Amino acid sequence: MSTQLDLVPVKPTTAIVGEPETRKRSKWFRLLVNDRVAAAAAVVLGLVFLTGIVGPMLVGNLATHIDLDNSNQAPFTLAHGWANILGTDPLGRSMLARLIVACRTTLSVAVPAVVISAVVGSAIGMWAGYYRGWRETIAMRVADVIMSFPSLLLAVVVLYVFSPSAANIVLVLAITRIPVYLRTARAESAELQSRLFVDAARTFGASAQAIIWRHVAPVVLPTLLTVATLDFCYVMLAESSLSFLGIGIQPPDVSWGLMVSQGRTYLHTAWWLSFFPGLAIVITTVSATILAAWARIATDPGQRWRLTVPQKRLSRFTKTTKALS
Amino acid sequence: MRRQAVAVALAAVTVVASGCTVANSRHGGYDLNTLRIVLPEEPPTLEPCESSLTSTGVVVRSNITEPLIERDPASGELQPLLSTGWRQTSPTEWTFDIRKGVTFSNGAPFTATDAAFSIDRAVNSDLNCNVDGYVFGDEKLKLNAVNDTTLTVATETPDPILPLRISFVEIVPRTTSTTAKVREPIGTGPYVVDDWEYGQKLRLARNATYWGKQPAFARAEYQWRSEGSVRAAMITNDETDIATGLGPEDGAGNLGVAFPNNETTALRITCTQAPLNDIRVRQAINYTVNRTGIVKALFRGMGEPAAQLIPDGVVGHNPDLALWPHDPDKAKQLVAEAKAAGVPVDTQIRLIGRTAQFPKITETMEVIQSELAEIGLNAKIEMMDTAGQLQYQLRPFPDNAGPFVALIMHGNQAGDAAFSVDQYMRTDGAQNGCGTPAFDQNIDAAGQLIGQQRQDAYAKLFAAEPTEVAQFAYIAHMNGVLGKSPRVDYRPNSATGDEMRLSQMTFASTNREA
Amino acid sequence: MFSFVRRRMYTSALPLIIVLLGVFLLARLTGDPTNLYLPESATAEQRADFAAKNGFDQPLLTQLGDYFKGVLHLDFGTSLRTGESASEMALRAFPATLQLAFTTMLLAIVLAVIIGCWAAYRPNSLADRFSSLLSMTAASIPDFWFAITGVWLFAVLLGWLPTSGVDSGLSWILPIATLMIRPLGVLTQVVRGAMVSALSAPYVRLARSKGAGDLRVVTHHALRNAAAPALTVAGDLAVGLVNGAVVVEAIFGWPGIGKLMIDAILQRDFAVLQAAVLLTAVSIFALNILIDACYALLDARVREPARV
Repeated sequence: MSTQLDLVPVKPTTAIVGEPETRKRSKWFRLLVNDRVAAAAAVVLGLVFLTGIVGPMLVGNLATHIDLDNSNQAPFTLAHGWANILGTDPLGRSMLARLIVACRTTLSVAVPAVVISAVVGSAIGMWAGYYRGWRETIAMRVADVIMSFPSLLLAVVVLYVFSPSAANIVLVLAITRIPVYLRTARAESAELQSRLFVDAARTFGASAQAIIWRHVAPVVLPTLLTVATLDFCYVMLAESSLSFLGIGIQPPDVSWGLMVSQGRTYLHTAWWLSFFPGLAIVITTVSATILAAWARIATDPGQRWRLTVPQKRLSRFTKTTKALS
Repeated sequence: MRRQAVAVALAAVTVVASGCTVANSRHGGYDLNTLRIVLPEEPPTLEPCESSLTSTGVVVRSNITEPLIERDPASGELQPLLSTGWRQTSPTEWTFDIRKGVTFSNGAPFTATDAAFSIDRAVNSDLNCNVDGYVFGDEKLKLNAVNDTTLTVATETPDPILPLRISFVEIVPRTTSTTAKVREPIGTGPYVVDDWEYGQKLRLARNATYWGKQPAFARAEYQWRSEGSVRAAMITNDETDIATGLGPEDGAGNLGVAFPNNETTALRITCTQAPLNDIRVRQAINYTVNRTGIVKALFRGMGEPAAQLIPDGVVGHNPDLALWPHDPDKAKQLVAEAKAAGVPVDTQIRLIGRTAQFPKITETMEVIQSELAEIGLNAKIEMMDTAGQLQYQLRPFPDNAGPFVALIMHGNQAGDAAFSVDQYMRTDGAQNGCGTPAFDQNIDAAGQLIGQQRQDAYAKLFAAEPTEVAQFAYIAHMNGVLGKSPRVDYRPNSATGDEMRLSQMTFASTNREA
Repeated sequence: MFSFVRRRMYTSALPLIIVLLGVFLLARLTGDPTNLYLPESATAEQRADFAAKNGFDQPLLTQLGDYFKGVLHLDFGTSLRTGESASEMALRAFPATLQLAFTTMLLAIVLAVIIGCWAAYRPNSLADRFSSLLSMTAASIPDFWFAITGVWLFAVLLGWLPTSGVDSGLSWILPIATLMIRPLGVLTQVVRGAMVSALSAPYVRLARSKGAGDLRVVTHHALRNAAAPALTVAGDLAVGLVNGAVVVEAIFGWPGIGKLMIDAILQRDFAVLQAAVLLTAVSIFALNILIDACYALLDARVREPARV
């Protein structure tokens, strides 16, 4: 009797997949194109990054030009000029222009924070998981210490003792997120220590650094990538929570989080003030998450087979033999 | 299998145990005789000598405790309360007649001794009461309860407005501690503290032995929510009867009542450092701030562009003073002149504001910064929390603060210009940023006068300040918005923000008391 | 197992001390509380008086010594703001947050496991993609925006729920929903991803060929292997809840410890801040020990260091 479970695709035992490999570069491209949703997400994310890099130059001073007569105009009408297609804010500035400028600020806070915490956290985690013993204990306790500090207290202190700036926000967010990577990397690295290939490498006299870099890291990487993109999500939301508490990005700088926070008092009268930046956050993070899920499969040699044919044809890999009765 | 069962059982037990009650909660529908009020924050304490702090005073003043004299916010006149009459018996002494037949809510009788004790405790003791600093400054008072119904108060220097100052001191029984502040006080007021669930609710109940007319509502219940839109939602959802501190767009709709709340916003310029030490630059700032535009677009017309630090109704207000004209070209010209004279106008000026001090403060700061930029001044916005901003509002200012302009909001609760002028305009005032000795002399002279002369002298000071000192660029006299349920009758006035008298709230005429 | 837990408790003592030390120093770095607690025109003497009364004029090391001495007697000082004992304030506020966090996490885990397994059961189907999209969106919504919109929609517009407060059972719904959307979204994705890998592994085929039904395969075999990464993520999310229910407590007037901490920071109320942070730190350490114990329970390989 065959059930739903039998329809779950399993890895084929013979290599019947796809076309023969051509150039290395197009292998990744093929893997991406085979998953249409991930490809769409990649395009969206690319657009977002492009906007962040190039957008503010194109927009000029539309984002900062205050025009009190035009305050809080509704979106989706060309009556106030094409620049105000998404409405205006209480000071009459174009929402579209502000969204574009905010894109750059938000990305310049979120991306470095994630990168720094991922690199530092996973390096320490892998090192701790490799050696076990006292190194592991110390690393885990350091992670505990960081995690029990209220991230808000750390943020307030950093932003008052030093001056409030995007760099300091990046620093605070990076430090508070290190434990996440540390624990994940350590857990996976510790589990790998008992695997045969690590044992073999040690027997051959490979140094700890070589083993970590060549054997542990590639296995840990897929999980870390997933964690990193989910973390990217968290950092963007944390930045908006900091703005809610009044200690995030400071005006006249603008970020999506700050726009959502400032717009929350206008929910009844000017819903677009919070909605569009919120939508921007959601679109960016959802695209990043989809891409992360794809990357997790693509970088894992044991799972890569799923992407070697277009998704529709994955059913070729379900069990087709007759069930035993 | 067994492990699973244990895990499930453990989970179930914890859920049930925790789900039974929310820690610190109670149920209820609502009782029609309870007046429900929601504030922006929980009063840290109900200590009466701290009642000049808004979050404490709004609950305590004239509800739980009462002063000897009360100021009528509409007319500005002093009304008898626990004192039936008062007169100045010598230049440095005032005599007060004490009302007979009043008891505290704990049964103790109220006499002049209690009055003397309360004033002494608030002003002369080591408690560091807020009332002391706000109302009395450095003054030390000599008190004498001549008999049960007469009290004399002697000051070091002649003080024509002593009764006004005395109206800030709430009267407590003589048994109240003088070494520690009291969190839940005893008083003579129409209500007593019934129950205070710290962090959640504060309940008051009618004082059965109150000497005056019993208030309409038998009980009052205070809650607090920090988000304005949530407070407004509570009003529209009939979860509360009164909501304070709403903004114009919080969603109270036509249940929101706008009223002038006695606060005035202004830019206070410190003139110790260039470029702000040049009066042309300060006047240029005044020319470029578009008060009318800000009130119209940001405050939605709720407020009045200001030409002085105090609104109408306060003694010393100058009704003839015209608004500083909005003239960006003139401003640019002044800045150019200053630049030509060698003033470094490009130096970065810090524009300091307090987060969430009033609705739209961030937008106001952004408008001001862009207006300053337009005339060639380099201003940087710095929004800080209350503790941080107070360092730049109160002397002593931090070292190496650089040239800075602080956005302040001043509420003159007392009804006399002396309180504002002494704090802000005297060179040794706690919140002063700029002054001259000549101006100080005029301030002192005005403070000695009474009646119409006093009014005229202060009015002249406000008229002369822009040309002599130019410490301020006033913005607006602000309006507050109070959310009010249709079942309650109450007209908010300029004192409502600091002193919300529950006895003035009655059932709306269509309801009958249950 | 118990020796494992005991060992972890000993090694947690030193970090706890470091946390205490850290918060003591950081709190004092935030600035001087004098302006908040003294009248505006306080003289220099009054300021000196205030500092002396609260011990702020002592050198930092002396203050630190007094603080640790107090901790050993479980005396955390009194609040500058209210005059109450700091530990009393923290202990009063903590259970409310704990209840909120616990219920939220429980609901999030249960729902995430159900939805994640169901989605992994039929991967790449329409239902799977839809639930993936929904969970990703849920993990991306700013919490305070969700809360305020929820208040407006469900309380004001529809009138189904109270706006805030702790009065009735219904008033739990919005705070829990707000606190739960992100953990639910994140956990669903993690569970789904791990389950997809687990369900396509060889041992599933083996179990099926031995005659196991679908439910047994999913719960007994696949879920156990998928539980490990899910557990780590759940643990981090739980810690984040305990530490950061500030937004929810601020908006809904929930009398919890998150709001107490942020108020203490803004009011420079050092005693209350220290007490509150210590309380949450202890509970976070306990939670981590619990998670590590579960982890070791699930995967015997992690329990002991590898013997080479």
